[in-house]
Amino acid sequence: MKRFSIVLASIALVVAACTPTPGGTPASGTPAASEGPTRGGTLIFAMWQEPTTLAPPYLNQTIAGLVSQVAVEGLTRTDTDGKYQPVLAKSVPDINNGGVKLSADGKKMDVTYELLSAVTWSDGHAFTSADVKFTWENRMKDPKVVNRAGYDQIESIDTPNDTNVVMHFKSVYAPYPTLFGALLAKHVAEKEADLSKSDYNQRPLGTGPFKFTEFVAGDHITAERNPNYRDKTKPYLDKIIFKSVPASEVAIAQLKAGEVQGMWNILESQTPDLEKESAIKLVITPSPSVERVEINTAANKDMTDPTSVHPVLGDIAMRKALVWATPKQQLVDKLLFGKAKPGSSGYSQGWAKYTGPPQDSYDPKKANDELDKAGWVKGADGIRSKGGVRASLTITSTTGNKTREQVEQVLSDEYKQIGVELKIQNQPSSVFLSGSWSAGDPRKRGTFDLDMYATSPDIDPHTHIFTRFHSSQIPSAANNGLGNNYTRLRSPDVDKAIDEGGATLDLEKRKAAYNNAVKGINDAYVIIWLYERASIDAFRTNVGGWQGNVWDNITWNSGDWYLKK
Amino acid sequence: MTTYVLRRLLQAVPLLLGITVVSFAILKAIPGGPMAAYEGNPNITDEDIRRLEHALGLDQPVHIQYLSWLTAFLTGDWGYSYSSHRAVLTEIMERFPKTVYLMGTVYVVTLLVAIPIGILTAVRQYSWFDHIVTGTTFAFLSTPTFWLGLLLIIVFGLQLRLLPLGGMATLGTDFDLLDRVRHLILPVATLSLVGIGRYVRFLRASMLETLTQDYLRTARAKGLGERIVVARHALKNASIPLVTVAALDLPELFVGALVTEQIFGWPGMGRLYWDAATRSDYPVIMGFLAVAASLIILANLAADVFYAYLDPRIRYA
Amino acid sequence: MATLRSSQLLAQAVALPATAYRERGQWRMAFERFLEHRLAVAGIVVLALLALLSAFAPLVSPYNPEKTNLLLIFESPSPSHPMGTDSLGRDLATRILYGGRVSLSVGVLAIAVAITLGTLIGGIAGFYGRWIDAVLMRVVDMMLSFPRLFLLILFGVFFKGMTLGVIVIVLGLLSWMPTSRLVRATFLSLKNRDFVEAARSIGARNRDIIARHILPNSLAPIIVAATLGVAGAIITESTLSFLGLGIQPPTPSWGNMLKDATSEMNQAPWTAIFPGLFIFLAVVSINFIGDGLRDALDPRHVTKRI
Repeated sequence: MKRFSIVLASIALVVAACTPTPGGTPASGTPAASEGPTRGGTLIFAMWQEPTTLAPPYLNQTIAGLVSQVAVEGLTRTDTDGKYQPVLAKSVPDINNGGVKLSADGKKMDVTYELLSAVTWSDGHAFTSADVKFTWENRMKDPKVVNRAGYDQIESIDTPNDTNVVMHFKSVYAPYPTLFGALLAKHVAEKEADLSKSDYNQRPLGTGPFKFTEFVAGDHITAERNPNYRDKTKPYLDKIIFKSVPASEVAIAQLKAGEVQGMWNILESQTPDLEKESAIKLVITPSPSVERVEINTAANKDMTDPTSVHPVLGDIAMRKALVWATPKQQLVDKLLFGKAKPGSSGYSQGWAKYTGPPQDSYDPKKANDELDKAGWVKGADGIRSKGGVRASLTITSTTGNKTREQVEQVLSDEYKQIGVELKIQNQPSSVFLSGSWSAGDPRKRGTFDLDMYATSPDIDPHTHIFTRFHSSQIPSAANNGLGNNYTRLRSPDVDKAIDEGGATLDLEKRKAAYNNAVKGINDAYVIIWLYERASIDAFRTNVGGWQGNVWDNITWNSGDWYLKK
Repeated sequence: MTTYVLRRLLQAVPLLLGITVVSFAILKAIPGGPMAAYEGNPNITDEDIRRLEHALGLDQPVHIQYLSWLTAFLTGDWGYSYSSHRAVLTEIMERFPKTVYLMGTVYVVTLLVAIPIGILTAVRQYSWFDHIVTGTTFAFLSTPTFWLGLLLIIVFGLQLRLLPLGGMATLGTDFDLLDRVRHLILPVATLSLVGIGRYVRFLRASMLETLTQDYLRTARAKGLGERIVVARHALKNASIPLVTVAALDLPELFVGALVTEQIFGWPGMGRLYWDAATRSDYPVIMGFLAVAASLIILANLAADVFYAYLDPRIRYA
Repeated sequence: MATLRSSQLLAQAVALPATAYRERGQWRMAFERFLEHRLAVAGIVVLALLALLSAFAPLVSPYNPEKTNLLLIFESPSPSHPMGTDSLGRDLATRILYGGRVSLSVGVLAIAVAITLGTLIGGIAGFYGRWIDAVLMRVVDMMLSFPRLFLLILFGVFFKGMTLGVIVIVLGLLSWMPTSRLVRATFLSLKNRDFVEAARSIGARNRDIIARHILPNSLAPIIVAATLGVAGAIITESTLSFLGLGIQPPTPSWGNMLKDATSEMNQAPWTAIFPGLFIFLAVVSINFIGDGLRDALDPRHVTKRI
């Protein structure tokens, strides 16, 4: 789940005729000019989580997006620089090329897409503007769709002809190109009374290089060459089989044994072992996902009052000390094997990326001094207290995540050195990450001291930063648990900066505003940005053509993949 | 006998009902829930969550949810998975044959190996054969299944590269019997090695007991060869507890060996349950538990019936 | 699963003969018979050693089981770290000793809960009979009809990963049924025997009859079942921890140490081998002890060479 927004930014995608050459960094399997891709062959790709559905409206897992996009495409996608690219549209409409028109009062907008002509679904049926309109209608009508954000900003859609779509937005919705990243085939989907219960849910129709021919739950999903794909030279592979394996270590074992040729989502701790294998190439791609520790500044209490003060963490000296006692670089070097970067913000990629001063570095002595100064006195057991309050805290994360458990244990040990007791109290992700007030997510309810998890902002960070750090977004009984401001930060400066970022369309100004907001957040010492993660996938060396993408899954250019002879 | 079976079946109804009530109550008492899957998706709003909860009926009072599940279940509608949206019955029926295939092989292999060993160790009690075999089976009996499975994977899969690491068959190839067998070897070995010890112990103990019975002494006194005594008389009586245990094990054929399926990536019922449990996929969990409990009840009944059939001293009214 | 249930079934098997022990002499004879079972005696020795080492872990080991040292990650076994170090640079041998505290006490305590509960319920059902018996036995039937591991998984999710106390109670609550059947059977077979009738005729109260006359007579099968149950509980705990639902880190248990080890098997095979080996040692010792106890307490099982 950690790399969620990458998927969402891209659920559809895959492969236009022209492969763009994205700017630099990510690794690619492009061979020396002499080799050249060859046609044919079956690639087996291991996935250690299992997609339950592949149909765009119900899709809610990173792995499902990864699989789905070899067949299902949309109007646009995000390239590795975070720029939008057309897929089934001729171009990405914007205000300059006339594709986006603001209403006279500047409060609404119309977006016009011109579609590629002569595109067919993999069953040979023509792809038209009606499919786009149907995709929107389904999204708004079907009660089981995953989300409607953005689609609900569209008032109506006109389809003047087969290749033109005009979307009438009822507001100015800046991330409009992220919508319609995956389309439904009207001629098939409209026949289903309940699409979610139909076969379409497991084997959706698409326009991409492959088509789904088999979905065997718990075992494998087969995608075969789409004979009607618009680029007749692609895909190179005859077949990709996504093999379901129960755990990442099993996937690794199978990759080493050559039972599979590629795999998804390798843990940092597993890389040293794989780097020793000469027949395996790791694909390490920066990602927007940042692991963080949030510090609850309000009382650790069910349905906590946002204005209450945490007896220990309410003291900024304590929060500073925790930040200074966190050995980020050491965690990165030793537990993540250098495959991540020490964090400084939650916004590490894309145009809104934080470029201000880094978060304070590791200095346990300074932390000890700070606590001494603030009146936290060490007791006989080495744990500090002040005014009868013992500096004893709990940290909550997801159960069963080894890296997180390791980090917690290191933190517990480090914090002990500065006289703070840290107990580990993990919960299954179905609770801890439920994000649900009624399901008792401790972050929502305020029943935690420190929490640890990762999230990724979208390419446009506004929603993310607003819901997580704006003082209006503190979940409480009064607002039915709305919002994700789990640290209960209430900072007028941060609020102001975030509001500014949302009030303008000028990217430079927005970037500056978000940078200010992050600086304000860091100065309040309510969050420890542990590390910025990378996506790590791997292929055997006989696979070519793959390319990492910051904002997308590794399968984004599956049409270019090939097996070397 | 028929009345007895019918009465037991009748008693099973409130039993099953109780089991579903308790299961449902536990499920609902667990904090968290199916909506957890949507966290991390930055485009999901609280409004989306509420809409989904409503669409899945999760906003109803618990007893209403249970009653609507029960009435639907009784009419053959087992509901739809929250995550795949497929019919629960379809999901279960898709996994069912695969688990039976694995566990059936385990069952057959275990019995085929355990029965002769059990007899031999009893006949030659305290011989070196008895000591070695009893010791070995005992050792396997004391090994956690998951550890044994992992060790087998390390040795035969990773180090020696003799056998595939998991799955049912090599993907992307046509049906190939040898390939199927190769995929079966490690999981079957894991479960059988642990299981054999159990059966050997039962059989050995009951063989030893029967071998000293008076009627066998009589048989021996009549001049019957030891071989015939063992084969005709001792084995028949000694097999009674074995049959009982074997019948009690039957539900496992269907329910599957969760941990083993997990380690070897076997697409069976155990993994279905594990995935459902970790996703709070209530309809799948409920369907699974109902099936499993029914099978256990039936197996208990079958064990009792076998027992009565094999041991003429027992009569059920 | 097979292993999880085996102890229960063994318990049922030993339950069938409810031999009465009326005199001290019989206990003495049982003890002598037990000593003849060499493997069982070896089991006692090994287990005692494991328990002592775990109990006195702080004296045995110079290391702190939870102290991480990122500079000492995955040291292979050496004189200073006889079993190597783990993914956080902690001494594996030390963690195994401390893990033994958890794993062994989970086994013993869970079965203590199960035996207490089982004896109580079985005793009540067997002694009072009638509707009380009927109701209690239906409850037993229901509990036995749940697939145990599957229910444990639900509990694991329910309790957000388990603490020692929770896992003991949950395992106990799911393991008492065989004992209760066993005790009930003894009660049913004994309550109308002469010596009980005699006690009753001289005006002994129910409580006294149960405590003085009936319970001691069901002790033998209970002891055997309990011993084997401990082995089963240790395996169950390790399985649950392996699935990530048992004892939570940093507290080491043999099961959760193995869970971590699965992803490190290639880099550091010792992290997978040693904890498993100790589970195996403990379980096999206990099983041998159980075996010896059964032979000792139930003479029918000791048969002459043919």
